[in-house]
Amino acid sequence: MAAAAAGSLRRAGWGLWRGRAVVRWQLSPPQRPLQASAVLRRVSDEHKKEPLASSSQQQFDSHPADHQPGQEPQGPDPSYTGQGSQESEDYESEEQLQHRILTAALEFVPEHGWTAEAIAEGAKALGLSAAAAGMFQSDGSQLILHFLSQCNTKLSELLEQEQKLVQQGEAEKKPIDQFLRDAVEARLRMVIPYLERWPQALSILLMPHNIPSSLSLLSSMIDDILHYAGDQSTDINWYTRRAVLTGIYNTTELVMMQDSSPDFEDTWRFLENRIADAMKMGDTANQVQSTGEAIVQGLMGAAVTIKNLTGLNQRR
Amino acid sequence: QTHFGFQTVTEEERREKINQVFESVAKKYDVMNDSMTLGIHRLWKDVLVRKMNPSPGTQLLDVAGGTGDIAFRFINYVRSVRERQLQRRLKHHQNLSWQEIAQSYQEDKSPLGGSQVVVCDINKEMLKVGKEKAQDLGYSEGLSWVLGNAEELPFDDDKFDVYTIAFGIRNVTRIDLALQEAYRVLKPGGRFLCLEFSQVSNPLLSRLYDLYSFQVIPVLGEVIAGDWKSYQYLVESIRRFPPQEELKAMIEDAGFFKVDYQNLNSGIVAIHSGFKL
Repeated sequence: MAAAAAGSLRRAGWGLWRGRAVVRWQLSPPQRPLQASAVLRRVSDEHKKEPLASSSQQQFDSHPADHQPGQEPQGPDPSYTGQGSQESEDYESEEQLQHRILTAALEFVPEHGWTAEAIAEGAKALGLSAAAAGMFQSDGSQLILHFLSQCNTKLSELLEQEQKLVQQGEAEKKPIDQFLRDAVEARLRMVIPYLERWPQALSILLMPHNIPSSLSLLSSMIDDILHYAGDQSTDINWYTRRAVLTGIYNTTELVMMQDSSPDFEDTWRFLENRIADAMKMGDTANQVQSTGEAIVQGLMGAAVTIKNLTGLNQRR
Repeated sequence: QTHFGFQTVTEEERREKINQVFESVAKKYDVMNDSMTLGIHRLWKDVLVRKMNPSPGTQLLDVAGGTGDIAFRFINYVRSVRERQLQRRLKHHQNLSWQEIAQSYQEDKSPLGGSQVVVCDINKEMLKVGKEKAQDLGYSEGLSWVLGNAEELPFDDDKFDVYTIAFGIRNVTRIDLALQEAYRVLKPGGRFLCLEFSQVSNPLLSRLYDLYSFQVIPVLGEVIAGDWKSYQYLVESIRRFPPQEELKAMIEDAGFFKVDYQNLNSGIVAIHSGFKL
């Protein structure tokens, strides 16, 4: 009986801790007093992070840096391997541990590819058994998506820092084509260490069940770049700009995979040309419009002249 | 006070009765499995090992593994993965220096890559049948047979990568103790896998299943193995076993994380999986 009560307490505590508390409370009101005391006990024991009552899963994942500074989710921490890592697992959620394993697994990608074997090696590097790789899907897609989101985060931070420098006046504001070129180049350079296995990654990402996630990561990255580029359009331009930049990014990525020039010079030149083309397209569109207007005005003027000459314009 | 099929007995009596059941069915265990499930149990066990996806070097503990079905499948799987691994390594050995060639001779080229499976069972007769089967089929390397109780395993802490219990946890008297022992002997990051009969959700299928279980299986037991009562116990024990969600909660109570289950054949059998994190 006591065991059952303890068990339900523990389960309730974990449920809260994983942020599913709201659903549970609605499902089983009589358990409320038990869950309340579970929260208090946890907090007083300094086992748990801050107010769990309101935390959603999302909030939880974004707050890892605020507490227990020794348990950073990114990167294997040598003092928390083996038994130690098992205790620290009580303090972090499963998602954070999964992120740590995937980050550690990235080291083994050049050797094993984007596969469950790389994830198993990553788990072993953290001191866990290789069986922990069973937590992830066996096709390695979660590893690739994790890497992509890591790259996107790094890119955002980079662009943010650059913007701050510009705002503080320590750097000049770049012209837009230069800005786009630098942003895309920085993002593509992050792929270079894994370039040999990147075609495999792209082909896995193109599989139907992976397309939604990979597409959303791609579009959010393009969105970030254009936001920091200062795009404030609210009309059809919003879509056309993103579509054009997505096209430039994808084609440059493909070019990079077959590029053998020193430091990928050919790729960056290709990128420069594509962006120049895109800029010209924008200018041409404007020119066409203004030429059209000029032509229309000319025709109107000619029509008025003819009316004057034929006397139709007189008002008597 | 606990249950033995649909009867109520004490824990002592239950252990004794189950011991007798397995002593009497041991010799015909595999034959009966095939005839009762029309051979589908082989597919279930294949799914379990595929889900495990063991790599060379994995240490497996197969509890209640009696006649060794999971253990043999594990060895086969690891052997084929190992072969592929060695082949891939060979492909890279195109242009080697003499020193690299000398090094490659010292590399570990064993067919199992260090994997080991320990089959633990509480019943001597089942282990005997398993050992004979292993000899007949030619399995010797990486296999060991241990007599032990799932509620009190004769192993140290943090020893195994994977713990499996296929169609055995139903016969354990104190399931919570068995789960705690599983947690204890697993390494951090280790995986718990349980393959067991469970509750069928589909009502039509459930009725057909009940009909088949109570009318056909004991008869088969009498005809093939000469033992009606053991197979009556078997189908009754399936009905008394906790359903998927309850077993999932019990596994979480023992301390496992990321606990999940997969229904096979719409609930006739379920694979529960948990990680020691």
